[in-house]
Amino acid sequence: MIDAMAHFFAEWGTLGMLVWTLLKIICIALPLPIIVAFYVYAERRVIGATQWRYGPTRVGPYGLLQSFADLLKMLFKEIIWPQRANKGLFTIAPVLVVITAMASWAVIPVSDKLWLTDIDASLLYIMMLSSVGVYGIILAGWSANSRYAFLGAMRSTAQLISYELAMGFALVGVVLLTHSLNLLEIVHHQEGGILSWHVWPLLPLFFVYWFAGIAETNRHPFDMAEGESELVAGFHVEHGGITFALFFLAEYINMIIISVLIVILFLGGWMAPFPFLNEIGFLGITPLGDGFLWLVVKVVFFLFAYLWIRATFPRYRYDQIMRLGWKVFIPLTLFWVVIVAVATQWSRMFG
Amino acid sequence: MERAKQFFKTWLLWDMITGLRLTLRRMFEPRTTVFYPEEKTPKSRRFRGMHALRRYENGEERCIACKLCEAVCPALAITIDIAEREDGTRRTTRYEVDMSKCIYCGMCEESCPVDSIVLTNIHEYHGESHQDLYFTKEMLLAVGDRYERQIAHDRAGDAAYR
Amino acid sequence: MSFLALLFYIFSAILLASALGVIAARHPVHSALSLVLAFFTMAALWILLGAEFLGLALIIIYVGAVMVFFLFVIMMLDTRHPEKIKANWRVTLPPLVLIGIIMFAELAMLIMHGSHAREAMPVPEAGNTLALGQAMFDRYIYSLEVVAILLLSAMVAAIALTHRKNPLAKRQDPSKQMAVKAEDRLRLVKMTAEREEDNESDVSSGNVSLGNKPDGKGISS
Repeated sequence: MIDAMAHFFAEWGTLGMLVWTLLKIICIALPLPIIVAFYVYAERRVIGATQWRYGPTRVGPYGLLQSFADLLKMLFKEIIWPQRANKGLFTIAPVLVVITAMASWAVIPVSDKLWLTDIDASLLYIMMLSSVGVYGIILAGWSANSRYAFLGAMRSTAQLISYELAMGFALVGVVLLTHSLNLLEIVHHQEGGILSWHVWPLLPLFFVYWFAGIAETNRHPFDMAEGESELVAGFHVEHGGITFALFFLAEYINMIIISVLIVILFLGGWMAPFPFLNEIGFLGITPLGDGFLWLVVKVVFFLFAYLWIRATFPRYRYDQIMRLGWKVFIPLTLFWVVIVAVATQWSRMFG
Repeated sequence: MERAKQFFKTWLLWDMITGLRLTLRRMFEPRTTVFYPEEKTPKSRRFRGMHALRRYENGEERCIACKLCEAVCPALAITIDIAEREDGTRRTTRYEVDMSKCIYCGMCEESCPVDSIVLTNIHEYHGESHQDLYFTKEMLLAVGDRYERQIAHDRAGDAAYR
Repeated sequence: MSFLALLFYIFSAILLASALGVIAARHPVHSALSLVLAFFTMAALWILLGAEFLGLALIIIYVGAVMVFFLFVIMMLDTRHPEKIKANWRVTLPPLVLIGIIMFAELAMLIMHGSHAREAMPVPEAGNTLALGQAMFDRYIYSLEVVAILLLSAMVAAIALTHRKNPLAKRQDPSKQMAVKAEDRLRLVKMTAEREEDNESDVSSGNVSLGNKPDGKGISS
C-alpha cells in the first residue's frame, strides 16, 4: 500500500514528491509528541513508585491524560520575553532544538520495511543533527539575557561537545565492524541471534555510548545544565509556556532517539534474540519473529533505564562530568577502537 | 588486594548497581500515599483550625467580653467592642477574627476563662476574597452552633491533660 | 529550470547573503551566527553535488564544534557596546586589501588556467564515503599523516603554552574522593557510659569553673 501511494504521488512530478514528503513528515511529527506525552507520564509514575508514592492518578483513568492537561496549560500560557532579551533568537531557539530532534527520525528505520528515507550516510546524518542541536541550547541561554540561563547554556554546551567525541568514537567501532554508515546495513550485519549482536565485541563502547547518550540528552545524573539547586532550571529558565514545552518535547524525543540508536547499533535493532523464533507462527505470521515488536521491547528497556537511573543517582559535580568524559570515556573508546580495528584487519588478512 | 578490589568495584560499577537494585526493590513495595479528599489522616484532638464561639446548653453565649483573647493575640487578629445588655450582663457587640491575620497559635483559647473562643479541628475552609476571611460574631457563633458536638467531644477527651 | 537547479540558486543566494552578513553584522554574535548559516548552506550545496560525506562532515566539524567554541568565546566577551570595538581603519585596511587581492588573484588563476577545475568529478559508484576513504588512506596517506602530526604538535604546543601549574590553585581529585571509605575518615570509639554521681559532682563544682573569673563575679553567684 505504501508503494502504491508513493507511486501515485510520483506521477505528479515535483509537486507530488513534495506532498509525499510532507505526508511522511506528518507521519513522524504527529505520533512523536503523543509518545513523549505518555513517556512523561511513565516517568512520573516510575519515579513515584521508587519513592513510595503514586505520581499522577487524577486526570483520566490512572492519570493517563496528565501530560495532555499539562500541555494544554502550557499552550495557553503567555510567552514572556525578558527585558533586553534578543527576541528573535529567544523565540527561534526552542524551535531549533525541536527541529533537530525530529529530523533525526527521517533516517531511523524501525523495522525491515518501515523507514522514511534510506540514505548512505544515515549515521553521519544523525551525528550531524545531534551536534547542531547544541545551537538551540546555546542561543536560548544567550538570548535570554539572564545569568542562570547563560551559565546553564555554557555548561550544557561544554558537556555536549565533550560527550559527542566519546559517542563519535563509539560509533567508529560500529562502523569498523559493519563497513557501513547506513543504519539498515548495520542492523542486517547483526543477523543471526543474540550472539551476533554488536554488544559483545563492542561491550565497552556500548556502555560508553549509553552513558554518553544520557549525558548528551542532559538527563540525570548528568543534568548539570539545569541543576535546580544552583541554576534554577538552566538554559531555559526564562522560557515559559509553549517555548518551554518545546524544549521539554525535544529533550524527550532525544531520549527516545538515543534509546532507539543504542538498540539499532548494538542490540540488533528489530532482530529477535533467538533465530528459531522466526519459525514459530502460523499462516505466515510470525508474531515473535524479527520485527517492530522486538525493537519496541528493547527500546522500552532503555527508556525505563533512563527513569530508573534518574530515580537512583544524585547529580554529578561539574568537574566530575568533565573528567568522566575526557579522562575515562575518550581514552577507553580510543583504546577499544584500536583493538577492533586491529582485529578486523587481522581477520581480513588471516581469517 | 584491596586496590585490586577497588579497581574492579569501580570499573564494574558495583556501587551503581547496588543503588539501582535498591530503587528497583522500592518500586514493588507498598506506597504510603493518602488520597487526600477521599482519604484523610486522623487529626489530633488538639488540632487548631477554624475559630468558633461556643454557647452554654441553655443557648446563652459564653463570652463575657473580658477581652483577654484580644490582649493575648500575638497577631492582633481579634477585635472586640463591649456594651451592657438590657439584663445588665457584660456582652460583646462586636467580636471579629481576621482569619488572614491569625497564626493559629491557640492562645485565645487558652486565655479564655469561659471556654468561649475555641479553635475547631476544621481546616478545610476558604474564602475567595479578603472579606470572606473576616469572621464576624454571627459567623463565629454559627460555626460554634454547627460543630458544638465535635468541639465538646474533643474538649472532653482532652480534659485530663489540661 | 529543474528542481535541483532551483535549489542550487536558493542555497547560493542564502550563502552569499549570510557571507555578507558575517562581515556586515554589527554584533559579533550575529556575524558568528551568519557564519553558521553560511556553513549550513555550503554543506547543502555540497550534498546537492553528491558529496554527502563532505557536506555532513563540514556541518559536524565546523558547525558542531568549531563555531560552538567561537560562540563560546564571543559570548563571554563584553559585547554590550559593539561601537567600542570598532577597529582602526588606517591600521587594518592595507593588510586586508592585500589579502583580498591575493585571494582574488588565486581564484582568477584557478578559474582561467586550471584545466581540471571546470569538469565535475564523476560521482563514484561505490558511494562517496568509501571513495573518499580510499583516496585518503591509499593515495594520500603520507600527506594525511603529515597533517595529523602537524595538528597534534599544534595541540601539544597550545596545551604546553597555556597549561601552567598554579601553585596556589587547589584542585579536587575525584578518583581519590571516590576511593575514600568511611573507615578512612571516621573512627568509631567504644566508651563506657558516665555514671550519675560523676555528673552530680560536676554540677556542684560547676560553680567553680564559672566563678573562676578574675573579678570573682561568676554568673552563677
